[in-house]
Amino acid sequence: MSRRKRMLQDLDQDIREHIARETQDNIDRGMSPQEARYAAMRKFGNVLRVKEETREVWTLVWLEQLVQDFRFAFRTLRKNPGFALTAVLILALGIAANVIVFGVLQGLVLRQLEMPHAEQVMTLQPKTGGPFLSYPEMRDVRDSNNVFSAVAAVQIEAFGLEANGFTRPIWGDEVTGQYFEVVGIKPFLGRLLERSDDDHPGASYAAVLSWPAWKNDFAADPNIVGKTIRLDKHPYTIVGVTPEGFYGTEKIAEPDIFVPLANLATLNGASWLDSRNYKNIFSVVRLKDGVTKPQAQAELNTIATRISQQFPKEDEGLTLKLAPPGLVGDFIGGPTRGFLAAVLALAGIVLLAACANLGSLFAARTADRTREIAIRMAVGSSRWRILRQLLVEAVVISVFGGACASVLGWMALTGLANWHPPSRFPIKFHVLPEPSLIVMAFLISVAAGIVFGLMPLRQIFKTDPNAAIKSGGAPSSAGRRWALRDVLLAAQIALCCVTVTAAFVSLRGLGKALTMDLGFNPKNAILTRFDLSQANYASEADADHFQRQLLERIQQIPGIEAAGYANTTPLDFDATVTDVFSQDSTDLRHSKSAFDMYFYHVSPGYLAAAGTPLLAGRDVSFSDTPKTPAVAIVNQEFARRLFHSQQAVGRYFKNRNGVSIQIIGIMGDGKHFTLSEDPKAAAFFPISQKTDTRTTLIVRSQRDTADIVSAIRETIRALDVAVPISESGPWTSQLGLSLFPSQVATVALGVFGAFGLLLSIAGTFGLASYTVSKRLRELSIRVALGAGTKQILQSALGRMLILLASGSGIGIALGLAASHLLSAIVYQASAQDPVVLTAVAFTTIVTATLSVAGPVRRVLDADPATLLREQ
Amino acid sequence: MSTKEQKQRIELLQGTLDLLILRTLLLGPTHGHAIAKAIEFNSDDVLQVEQGSLYPALHRLIKRGWISAEEGTSENNRRAKFYRLTAKGRKQLELETSKWDKLAGAIAQILRPANREGES
Repeated sequence: MSRRKRMLQDLDQDIREHIARETQDNIDRGMSPQEARYAAMRKFGNVLRVKEETREVWTLVWLEQLVQDFRFAFRTLRKNPGFALTAVLILALGIAANVIVFGVLQGLVLRQLEMPHAEQVMTLQPKTGGPFLSYPEMRDVRDSNNVFSAVAAVQIEAFGLEANGFTRPIWGDEVTGQYFEVVGIKPFLGRLLERSDDDHPGASYAAVLSWPAWKNDFAADPNIVGKTIRLDKHPYTIVGVTPEGFYGTEKIAEPDIFVPLANLATLNGASWLDSRNYKNIFSVVRLKDGVTKPQAQAELNTIATRISQQFPKEDEGLTLKLAPPGLVGDFIGGPTRGFLAAVLALAGIVLLAACANLGSLFAARTADRTREIAIRMAVGSSRWRILRQLLVEAVVISVFGGACASVLGWMALTGLANWHPPSRFPIKFHVLPEPSLIVMAFLISVAAGIVFGLMPLRQIFKTDPNAAIKSGGAPSSAGRRWALRDVLLAAQIALCCVTVTAAFVSLRGLGKALTMDLGFNPKNAILTRFDLSQANYASEADADHFQRQLLERIQQIPGIEAAGYANTTPLDFDATVTDVFSQDSTDLRHSKSAFDMYFYHVSPGYLAAAGTPLLAGRDVSFSDTPKTPAVAIVNQEFARRLFHSQQAVGRYFKNRNGVSIQIIGIMGDGKHFTLSEDPKAAAFFPISQKTDTRTTLIVRSQRDTADIVSAIRETIRALDVAVPISESGPWTSQLGLSLFPSQVATVALGVFGAFGLLLSIAGTFGLASYTVSKRLRELSIRVALGAGTKQILQSALGRMLILLASGSGIGIALGLAASHLLSAIVYQASAQDPVVLTAVAFTTIVTATLSVAGPVRRVLDADPATLLREQ
Repeated sequence: MSTKEQKQRIELLQGTLDLLILRTLLLGPTHGHAIAKAIEFNSDDVLQVEQGSLYPALHRLIKRGWISAEEGTSENNRRAKFYRLTAKGRKQLELETSKWDKLAGAIAQILRPANREGES
């Protein structure tokens, strides 16, 4: 029973007793019993009110003391800004890291797409290889299944949008008729696309705008439905607007417009809808009510087997599977989920370490204040009162920490949501911070506050005021046993070393990636991209004519060293892969191919402009035409794999259509899809043998980038003002997306590395100060007796050094082991690198020195005479 | 408005009452009725305490840790709660007494400056 309850229970009896005594006194003075009782009652006053007030006293005093505690907490924290700042900073960083990681996880993985019964919507993709299907494969599934209520294809496409007298490049989804049945949303305005819109090419020229496009590009025009716009010069009627919050079935994309896929031929220049060889579409499906995923998968297996038997040449070994939608199925979804789970685990461990750390920081501080606490206890403060004081202090710190963490997390997530990665693709991260995250941050911080606030509990309850005041601190024997605290510190130093090692490995990898041989030289090269099909160059001859004319004019710009054009460039994620067959093969099935290669169509001058070395043979030329024999320039890897030698010029290979192609040149190897890939075979074909409307113009010049870019834009505009330039700028900045995964990994690991460093500094510092303050008296006696500096340091901090050394050793070993995992994301990440090892060792030594410097100085500066007198 | 003034007066009274209780308990632990009687007796009945208001004050002092309470039997063998001054309370009493002396001195100086001149 609490004191308060006991006291209030006895109150009734106390008051009765009091009145009885007063009555007795009055009787003794000669009053009649009746009179005496009335007089006593009158003198006592209103019994009910007295009881009421007494009851209130307990709450009032409690509140008063709480306010006092808060005031005192603020005052002491202001007096120790170093301690307060360290604690708040550690907590803020630890929680902010968790909030950010969790926010991204929630945005990209946990959150379902905003559509009715989102759990029924899945992505359909092959079990192996890329995420794409061919249109006929999607059609086969759509027309022969009993498990899906709707099946649709999506093709992401760039358009030139002409509205209000402007042409500008936008991104949109070309979708099949059942697309809006799959997503199941209701239109915000007008109607959505229906099956009849996609029935056959030209069935309908209806377009649906996305909410952001309607809001930003059409000024939220309420009468938009029925208006006509032009897409790649073709008139389309806007029939509706999708609701806010809908951005297709991919979580990192933001399409502006939705149009029927059936019109592909007019929009794209050519249609591959009937070809099983062009695996170009994403497919999304909606499960029928009551159909389970295993049932659907079983049916898909049957359909895939049937298709591969029916079309052995194109669809040999076809397999189909369902994958969660949102991140291109399992293609980037898998790695993203894995990476985020790992980072979340890391963030969680770091938060735990931060709490343990703050715990020992608080314990050290409590030890420093042993005398103060002992005095307070000696004059009658209850242990609970002192504990409450410390808890209030912890809560103040954790609330500050939580607030800083929320602000940091909110800023980071908002920044991420508004950030467009360096890419011409419409990538957007839908990771807007939600209030629930902030609530979570506060809950974590208060929980952490209570956890670390309670750490010194035992210390306080053990304190014997007499001993504490006499000796000025707890008995120093406590510093001689190995405590759990020590093990925790070693474990934490090890963990921090892992994060530091990972950060350095990843930083070094990024550095290497920035200077490695790409197979071309992006420095001083300007890329300009546009698609002539968006400007109504439907025939190949027109496009070819425009491109050649442009190249001639570009070459006349002063200061141009080389210029050329291609359908696409390496590392642009637009590269296509095809099968290579040896010259003598006759079976042209995929399984019989020699290997696969990346291929590009390039103009004369491209190699010089891109800085790709031609090692043997000749460049392509405009005299290579569809009428002359097919030729190609191949890279060294290609020659090595097909001929096992570099002597390839003049020899032949076959493509999947059985056409023999003569090799006219050999070029150096390079990177094609990702920076971390192994050497890949590649071939450059003359663009004059196969015209492409997609155009990437490459110009090499030493002149100022901005001048060249504006000169190029002017030249293009002078030729045809309607060509929508999707981007124009230095190649180095357009490579951003290739560096993106390693940059993300480096930033994430760098933050954790820095955080790990801070933690180990704080932890080591905390424990070192704790040890020193507990033994300061003993040490000063030894100084007084003539002990040397070395002996004192050894006895004061020897154990710290053992902890630091063993923790760092284990940490570096673990970091080296873990860096193998990194090599998948970061190019050439290797922990065996002497630079990395030196950097980690150096950092560890600096960290250790920094964190024990304070306590060491305190020991050495201690004046034995003053200390002994004081205590 | 009037309630505010009243409240201030009550608060002042409460603080004074607390001080008087502490001072009384300095002589030794005793029960509630005896405290009331002692205050009346020692002030020559000038301070007429409404006896009931003693109890909220006693509880406040207990909660603050300045006094403690224990069961006991009084002189005529009746059961009663005895209140005892704690070390903290003793310190508080010293503090409050010196504050009170200063305050009383200051007020006296303001009210009778001539007297003071004459004395010196």
